[in-house]
Amino acid sequence: MNAPTHTPAPAKLRYVDRDTLFEVERFLIREARMLDEERFREWWQTQLAEDVHYVLPVREIRLRADQKPIGSNPGAFVFNDNYMMLDMRIRRLETGLVWMEDPRNYIRRFISNVDAAWADVDGEVDAWSNFIVYRNRRQRDETVVWGTKQCRLRKVDGEWKLTRRTILVDQRVVLDKNLYFFL
Amino acid sequence: MKDVSKLILEDGAVQNRSIYWDQDIYEQELEHIFARAWLFLAHESQLPNTGDFLTTRMGEDNVIVARQADGSIKAFINSCPHRGNVVCHADSGNAKAFTCAYHGWAFGLGGELVTVPLEHDAYYNAIERPRYAMHPVAKVESYKGLVFGTFDAGAPSLRDYLGDMAWYMDTFLDVPGGIELLGPPMKSILNCNWKVPTENFIADGYHVGWAHAAALKAIESPLSPLVGNQAYDVNTGLQVTTRGGHGFGVIWDAAAAIHPVGEAYAQWLAQRTPIMRERLGDWRAKFYNGHWDASIFPNCSFLYGTNTWKLWQPMGPHHIEVWTWTLVEKDMPDELKQMMVATNMMTFGTAGMLETDDGENMEQCTGSNRGWVTRRGKLFSGMGQVREGHHPELPGIVAKGIVCETSNRGFYRRWAQLMSGKSWDELAREPGNAADKREVA
Repeated sequence: MNAPTHTPAPAKLRYVDRDTLFEVERFLIREARMLDEERFREWWQTQLAEDVHYVLPVREIRLRADQKPIGSNPGAFVFNDNYMMLDMRIRRLETGLVWMEDPRNYIRRFISNVDAAWADVDGEVDAWSNFIVYRNRRQRDETVVWGTKQCRLRKVDGEWKLTRRTILVDQRVVLDKNLYFFL
Repeated sequence: MKDVSKLILEDGAVQNRSIYWDQDIYEQELEHIFARAWLFLAHESQLPNTGDFLTTRMGEDNVIVARQADGSIKAFINSCPHRGNVVCHADSGNAKAFTCAYHGWAFGLGGELVTVPLEHDAYYNAIERPRYAMHPVAKVESYKGLVFGTFDAGAPSLRDYLGDMAWYMDTFLDVPGGIELLGPPMKSILNCNWKVPTENFIADGYHVGWAHAAALKAIESPLSPLVGNQAYDVNTGLQVTTRGGHGFGVIWDAAAAIHPVGEAYAQWLAQRTPIMRERLGDWRAKFYNGHWDASIFPNCSFLYGTNTWKLWQPMGPHHIEVWTWTLVEKDMPDELKQMMVATNMMTFGTAGMLETDDGENMEQCTGSNRGWVTRRGKLFSGMGQVREGHHPELPGIVAKGIVCETSNRGFYRRWAQLMSGKSWDELAREPGNAADKREVA
């Protein structure tokens, strides 16, 4: 459960063709809408591969001379989830007993800067994107989370599935009360 | 100084709501609590080598904690004595010196001033270096690997400060090989007063079945029968408050209870229990298998079993930063340690299934006191007052069952004592409280 990024050296990237890039972009944007609309079970069933690995490492503030990679410490993840753990998180939301979600949160996900390259495994692509997530709740409670994510997608029976996602939030101190939403 | 004598009444059971909101009370807390009490800094395992450092806060004071060449650990305020600039901006790392970005003054691992640019040409060599060392944390001591510091040179020793809480904490600190904290810590913010989460961890077994109903259902834990607070058996655990305002609740045989995958941990506990029984006796072997919610006065909390370790760093009367590590036994196999980390993330991390339930309540419990009239009201933690007292074998004040507010009352009695401005000697001479005289029901 280490090595949070899996980007090859830029010189070796084989960027995908226009059609594939379009599919990847649609995948990420549709997924964002699905989550905005709280269709969590559908997301889990249709977007995720069963070997999915969903990771959000803690970003420690280090001096430039200190080259320890992000996430190299095994104790430092906000998310380090597999398919079963994501299912459990969604089951919690499905109980109807999450008081913090009642009345509901309004969460809006924005995806941009999408790019993709063929991975070193046949039929898989690495996709990069940036995101902004805005959350509003109660009367005046609002927060914004910024970041980037790297995804590994695999085509299964003609549909793209997420097999790995590494999320980097651009905040050492998460400026929200929690990160219990999917990115 | 504000008169605090009316803020905590009825033996700790009644709190004036202003203590969660007023800026002047908060300032008094910084002076009388955070500048005097022992505050958690680090675990020794986070600083294995000479020059290893981390930055933290004591109250709102920025502090550098560093491992010295002689193996000791020192701490000092992270602010240049020349013009006040913050000197070290990294969370942690390894350093030979800390150099201020403003004029280049450099300080050694112990905070001593070692380099002054233009010392000869501009200061004419007339600068008294020792006078400009970084402001030291008066005392830094370790209790079985847990490093604490205090700004008060007159404070009792760390061991005395922890008092009977140390006897209880030995339950998990005296394991063969000791413990370690895995990090770096997750950090997030809550718009709440720092006392609210401390009291939640020290004493609030009452909220578990209600606030965490969704999580307990999803996890399918042995604690799931608590959902909805339908019923409750007082024989399932104890609550304890110790002199010094520390305390905890324990649920018997539940250490692995809210682990999504608890089997491997249960096996580990079963294998270690005979060793712990031999080392610490029957009672603490029993505690070793229990699930604890606990706080060390004033702002450090932990759950033993789920193994989360928390600091509630005050950022004003209505804001805190939540810092979260994972506590593990050093001797655990790596796989089990990783399971403990994963469990902590899933339950009490920044996106934890239970942490999330709590955050909202903490904020609303604080924010309601914005109202001028509301703020003049009182809050009550009188639960179980009639059923607490001395136990023949266990130190502190003990109450049956974890759905109880005994530890809350102990916390607020201590809070009131420190806020009164009494010296450590006066506090040491204070008699026990009324609850001391009661029998356990």
